[in-house]
Amino acid sequence: MNRYDLITPEGTSDLLFEDCAMRRSLEEKLSGIFKSKGYCEIVTPGLEFFDVFNLNSRYFPQESMYKLSDNKGRLLVVRPDSTMPIARVAATRLRDAELPLRLYYRQNVYRNKPVMRGRSDEIHQMGIELIGSDSKRADLEVISSAIEVLASFENEDFRFELGDIGFFRELVNKLDADTAAKEEIRSLIEVKNYPALNDLLDSIGDNDVTKALKQLPRLFGGEEVFDKAAELYNDEKIGSVISGLRDLYNRLIELGYGGKITIDLGIVNKLDYYTGVVMKGYLQGYGDAVLSGGRYNKLLAEFGYDVPATGFAVNVDAVAKVMKQSHTYSAPVPDVIVYGADGFVMEAIKYANDLRGKGLVVENSVFDSYDETKAYAAKKGIARTVHIAETVTEENINGGRLNG
Amino acid sequence: MDNEKRPLRIALTKGRLEKDTVGLLEKIGYDCTAVREKGRKLILPVGDSIEVVLAKAADVITYVEHGVCDMGVVGKDTIMEMSGKFFELVDLGFGRCKFALAGKKGVDFYQGYGVKTIATKYPNVSRSFFEKKGMDVDIVKIEGSVELAPLLNLSDAIVDIVETGTTLKENGLEVFEDIAPISARLIVNTVSLKLRQNEIENLIKLIEENL
Repeated sequence: MNRYDLITPEGTSDLLFEDCAMRRSLEEKLSGIFKSKGYCEIVTPGLEFFDVFNLNSRYFPQESMYKLSDNKGRLLVVRPDSTMPIARVAATRLRDAELPLRLYYRQNVYRNKPVMRGRSDEIHQMGIELIGSDSKRADLEVISSAIEVLASFENEDFRFELGDIGFFRELVNKLDADTAAKEEIRSLIEVKNYPALNDLLDSIGDNDVTKALKQLPRLFGGEEVFDKAAELYNDEKIGSVISGLRDLYNRLIELGYGGKITIDLGIVNKLDYYTGVVMKGYLQGYGDAVLSGGRYNKLLAEFGYDVPATGFAVNVDAVAKVMKQSHTYSAPVPDVIVYGADGFVMEAIKYANDLRGKGLVVENSVFDSYDETKAYAAKKGIARTVHIAETVTEENINGGRLNG
Repeated sequence: MDNEKRPLRIALTKGRLEKDTVGLLEKIGYDCTAVREKGRKLILPVGDSIEVVLAKAADVITYVEHGVCDMGVVGKDTIMEMSGKFFELVDLGFGRCKFALAGKKGVDFYQGYGVKTIATKYPNVSRSFFEKKGMDVDIVKIEGSVELAPLLNLSDAIVDIVETGTTLKENGLEVFEDIAPISARLIVNTVSLKLRQNEIENLIKLIEENL
């Protein structure tokens, strides 16, 4: 008989001391950044109705969600994404709140991934949403915050990537092709499958639009991308997409992030709700983006509240994984252990509290003798033991140095 | 990080694709002696700037997806069966064959209303092929010679890779329908392409010039 009482489900894991400490320190760092910019934390439920994630502008494949039903037989899912629930909250309870809303979150999302591919189903994410402004200033705020977050990880080799889904949308709308063919084009651009994209576009026609679409997956790199893009195709709408992006790019350079920023006009993910500027963040040492986000101006309208929004999410677990490669993090060890002999237990508690008052981490010995206490302290690496009886005896063991 | 100094790592599918890729790299001018005389080693240097990793086809995708290898050479058959997140940049043109639906010669596969049974090493490819047709089929996963299944009346047809069709013919089978053409592809990790754009683009340019 299989027994599952000793293991965790596929795609999940327990986080012990060092890993917890790493996660919490990242959380503190990020929430510090978010709070300092006026973002307020919100928590949404782990369970939501299926319908929240089954919208026109973003749908999750059924098989990617963990599902269950409530006591009325209604279909629930374990939250696969935080932006959609936050859009729901903004459109309902926050409907009368003054815009723009600045919200941040730190919570898990759950995605049913193919098994044995080494990726977790439970992902700890933190992110911000700036709801109610379509201005370039809002884009700049969110994008510069995202870069600030990436830079705060102290991984010299980070890269921040900007794109705009508008470039692809405008081009593909001019194309004389059916929806299925357009979707095929999108998916080929997404995976940068040049040969198949060329074949497909050749069969559709030879004009300025197909020529530009053929080059789209190659439109990534540094500043030169803007000129290349403008050469490929230019009309009023596409011109304004490119100049908007160039403007953002220049401002980020001004902020001192030159050399860290790349452009990719070929970011055209199917599952995204994005409508304008999109962003991704990469760290050397992790094979996928650790940060992603963008502008989503149509999402809230699906919840009946037609306001624009932008934001990003950070995969905290992925960042922790990368940081663990270069930082050694050890579980905290108490500074002192205090043992009270029989009849001196209350004195020991008081003594320990005094030490805690000085900022030390003090463990209370639950052993029946001072010898056992010392043996335990030696094993655990606690530097100082205190014996409380008629007199108070302090000993330094483990060659430890004290700051108290 | 020391990754700056790390050579570009390419995972090759062991066997024929490996030989063809090594031929291609040599044509470009890389010294592949270490790969040709590999012994039992699995990570091999090619010149100063490239490192070759030898792996099974499906593992090539896994290594590239996780970014522990920057690039990989793998058949379109494996890509279709496994899927995954990576860029599929170049059709290398070698390792050409096709996915096909095949069965006993002279049988009309689509005739009748009964649910058909399909034997295959590629259950995902088979499922999506029949999903597109709106057909409900039973799929049986076979590990070895799939041609046996219709001969033993385990299945109505097979979905398999067909190169010359000789094995089919010798066993009284024939292709009912082509599913998709297959050839070797150069795949690239999504982050590597951005972090090491110049190196990768230069290599791809050399590869395309020498195909």
